[in-house]
Amino acid sequence: MSTEEKERLELLQGTLDLLILRTLLLGPAHGHAIAKAIEFRSDEVLQVEQGSLYPGLHRLIKRGWISAEEGTSENNRRAKFYRLTAKGRKQLSVETNKWDRLAGAIARILRPTEERE
Amino acid sequence: MNRRGKRLLDDLDQEIRDHIELATQENIDRGISPDEARYLALRKFGNVVRVKEDARAVWRVVWAEQLVQDIRFALRQLYKSPTFTGIAVLTLVLGIGANTAVFSLVNALLLHPYDFKNLDSLVRVWENRGIDEGYDARNIAPADAADFLSGAGVFEEVTTYRDQSFNLATEGDVEPVLGCAVSASFLDVLGVRPALGRGFVTSEEQPGFDQVVLLGYSLWRQRFASDPAILGKTIKLSERSYTVVGIMPPKFSYPVPAQLWIPLALAPEQKADRSDLSVMALARLKAGVSVAQTTAALSAYAQRLEQAYPKTNAGRSATALQLRKELYLYTVPLFLSLQAAAVFVLFLACANLANLTFARLIGRQKEIAMRAALGAGQRRLARLFICETTLFSLLAGIAAAAISFWTVRLLRSSISQDWTKWVPGWDGIQVDRTVLAIAIIMALFVGLGFGFATIVHAGRANLTAALKESGPGSLSRAKGRLRSALVVSQVAFALVLLVCAGLTIQGFLRLSNVYAALDPFNVLRIELSLPEKTYSQQTQIANFYQQYLHSAAALAGVTQVALSSNHPASNVDNETAFFTIEGRPSPKINETPSAAIQTVTPDFFPVLRIPLLAGRRFTESDTFTQPQVAIVSRSMVERYWPAEIAVGKRIKLGKSDSASPWITIIGIVADVRQNWWNPAASPTLYRPFLQSPQPSMTTLLRSGADPTSYAASVREIVLKLDSGVALRGVGTLQKEVTDSIGIIRIMGILMGVFGMVALALSLVGVYGVLSESVAQRTHEIGIRVALGANPCDLMRLVLAHALRLTLIGLVIAVPVAFVLSRLLASAIHGVVTVDLAILAEFSFLLVLVALVAAFLPARRAMGVDPMVALRCE
Repeated sequence: MSTEEKERLELLQGTLDLLILRTLLLGPAHGHAIAKAIEFRSDEVLQVEQGSLYPGLHRLIKRGWISAEEGTSENNRRAKFYRLTAKGRKQLSVETNKWDRLAGAIARILRPTEERE
Repeated sequence: MNRRGKRLLDDLDQEIRDHIELATQENIDRGISPDEARYLALRKFGNVVRVKEDARAVWRVVWAEQLVQDIRFALRQLYKSPTFTGIAVLTLVLGIGANTAVFSLVNALLLHPYDFKNLDSLVRVWENRGIDEGYDARNIAPADAADFLSGAGVFEEVTTYRDQSFNLATEGDVEPVLGCAVSASFLDVLGVRPALGRGFVTSEEQPGFDQVVLLGYSLWRQRFASDPAILGKTIKLSERSYTVVGIMPPKFSYPVPAQLWIPLALAPEQKADRSDLSVMALARLKAGVSVAQTTAALSAYAQRLEQAYPKTNAGRSATALQLRKELYLYTVPLFLSLQAAAVFVLFLACANLANLTFARLIGRQKEIAMRAALGAGQRRLARLFICETTLFSLLAGIAAAAISFWTVRLLRSSISQDWTKWVPGWDGIQVDRTVLAIAIIMALFVGLGFGFATIVHAGRANLTAALKESGPGSLSRAKGRLRSALVVSQVAFALVLLVCAGLTIQGFLRLSNVYAALDPFNVLRIELSLPEKTYSQQTQIANFYQQYLHSAAALAGVTQVALSSNHPASNVDNETAFFTIEGRPSPKINETPSAAIQTVTPDFFPVLRIPLLAGRRFTESDTFTQPQVAIVSRSMVERYWPAEIAVGKRIKLGKSDSASPWITIIGIVADVRQNWWNPAASPTLYRPFLQSPQPSMTTLLRSGADPTSYAASVREIVLKLDSGVALRGVGTLQKEVTDSIGIIRIMGILMGVFGMVALALSLVGVYGVLSESVAQRTHEIGIRVALGANPCDLMRLVLAHALRLTLIGLVIAVPVAFVLSRLLASAIHGVVTVDLAILAEFSFLLVLVALVAAFLPARRAMGVDPMVALRCE
């Protein structure tokens, strides 16, 4: 209902992986839960095509940053749960750091005066 | 794609369905109608098909897909230039095929001759008396063998055995069979179990308990119709009854060509005997003991025996040789030279291939440059070439493997059983998995090698220059040098291979002529052996054969009949006898005169057309009652009476103190080689049959017409005289001579084939490279002609260049070929001799080919209108 009225933002390339990792930091989750969490935590500003989550998940598994396991969802259904690995945890901090620097740099370029004053 | 990815993708469908269902349910919970709820969920999810594709793309391996592309492209390229592909594949097939076939042979005969447990720890052990030089019996005294086991400390077990021939009687038919008397541990030492029944037990080693027999598989099949009920029944061997206790497995025949085994039952005094080297011994080494250690331990222990039993063991030494090596002592160098030739053919094939690919590369220079200019990465280009070369190498490898199956089958079927039964491992000749794998790996390596070589070469190519270059007309200096190097190496390789192949073929041809001294044509041979029981007296033996000879000679159409104890080309060496020459001081123990000894009837020499050089032949009056006489061979005269008249000299068998009677030499005959492996004819002493009759003799019957037609009549005569006499080996002497040098002929044929292949490959190679390099200069020649160059001078220039390259190649190759042929000559002693004429002939041939190869394209180039040549941009 309200989602349609809000201004939606396209996701920057590569940031989806970062968001998935961050979401999984809170604990293992299945695909739908991850999608909902990303939407919810961004105040539904980010427009993620929920489907694109899955190739992202596969990519992260291939790199060994997350792992998949069988589990039971909140309503007692069998579902695939994704869990952050130790390697993924390390990667998350690297990526977050990188993102901060990138965001800071872009911000400085976009608003040079404001920053200095 | 790995397993993890596959599982994830398999589950993806369900996951997506679950996801959408969950989203739909949530929407419904929010009060949206089910249809609308599902629509919204789907929209939010996005394109399901694309999601799946993207997920799959995560797992897919990009290089694998590009590889498929490359292979398809390479196939297209090869298909587009059928001549190149054809020649390249054929060249490699020859190279790899030759190697596969020869390796199959070597693998079966040298690496796996016997199917015994842990073959490498089996050794033959024998004693040398120090006076047996040239007499290679490889026997041992029974008591010494037992001492070696207990005292030398290197053997886990020693087993003794000795050859024994039997007359096997089945349903009125008597057939001589070669067998072996073995101690009970024999099968355990070899690590072989009977296919049916049991082996021997120790209690059967005692005289009186030894009438049990193990049958060979093929004997069982042929004579007893593979009847398993034969176990426990008795059979008659040389008029003794033996109970069959077991059947040996199909390929087992040791010592070849034994077909039955009985226990070796020695009386206590025989077991304790040291004076007579009466048995053979085979031993299994203790784990971790090397052959070198064994030899050392044996010679040390033999010395102790010498001191302990000086009377019998003085001067006696002991030797061990790996069973694997023993048998092929004579033939190993032949096999190895064959293998070397095969490897050389492969080298040559590779050299040719290098030239071909190189020539093709020049043609494709522009294409490669174009690809590079359009952004093909070095690595992608490299992969393309590797793909191409590997592909045709693999193609060739597979074709070669297929061909080697055929060759091996041909090889196996083309040699007669009569001969191959003497060759352990012959039945095992096959293209096995190892051999196939080697062929394929070889092909792969060759392919990869050329692929890399091409890349390295292409990598150096200057893009802009290549694109600008109008064609193969202008060659860079570096490329010219490379091409010259190729010509030189091709010539060098060719000469070395041709000389080695030529020498070996020459050697084999000479070997297949070893029996040139006798005339086997139109001669029938039949082996007879008299039962020992009824013919225990020499006079009985003599009488039987006298009657037999008279009846056989009386057959219509028979020219002459003779008997021989061991005729030439029988594949059996003669017994060696020591003798003393009258009136000479007694020599040192290891200088005692010795000679091969043979018993023959008077007509032996005329039947085989062996010329009498001096004196007289035996007659029927050279009997027991007459003075003992002998005929000697020319080489015996040369060795012992080089400057004297041998006829009339007297000798006696044994040492100077022996009691045997003096024998007068009455004649000298020409030399005859006994067997192909004897490096030369050995000194031979012939004794008249009537003065030393033997129960087993071979009939040699010369007739005017087909000798085999007399076989039935001869058999009839024998059976009429005594139905207990065994006949065997009925056939023509011609066939036996042919069979006996079977392996030599096969080797010779194989070498010949290699020689031809080598000749063809090297000539084509030299011609190809040279003519190509001249053809590349068409442009330049055109300009020179246009500028008024004298065609004669120009031709001289081109020919001189070709000649120079060829000569450099020859200068490099001649010393190598010389050294190699010296090595060959020492490796294949008596077969190959260094022959400088061959070196000169092949050098000349190569120069000739080089000149023709340069002349033809040069003339073509000069014939071209200068304007065309200039314009052929």
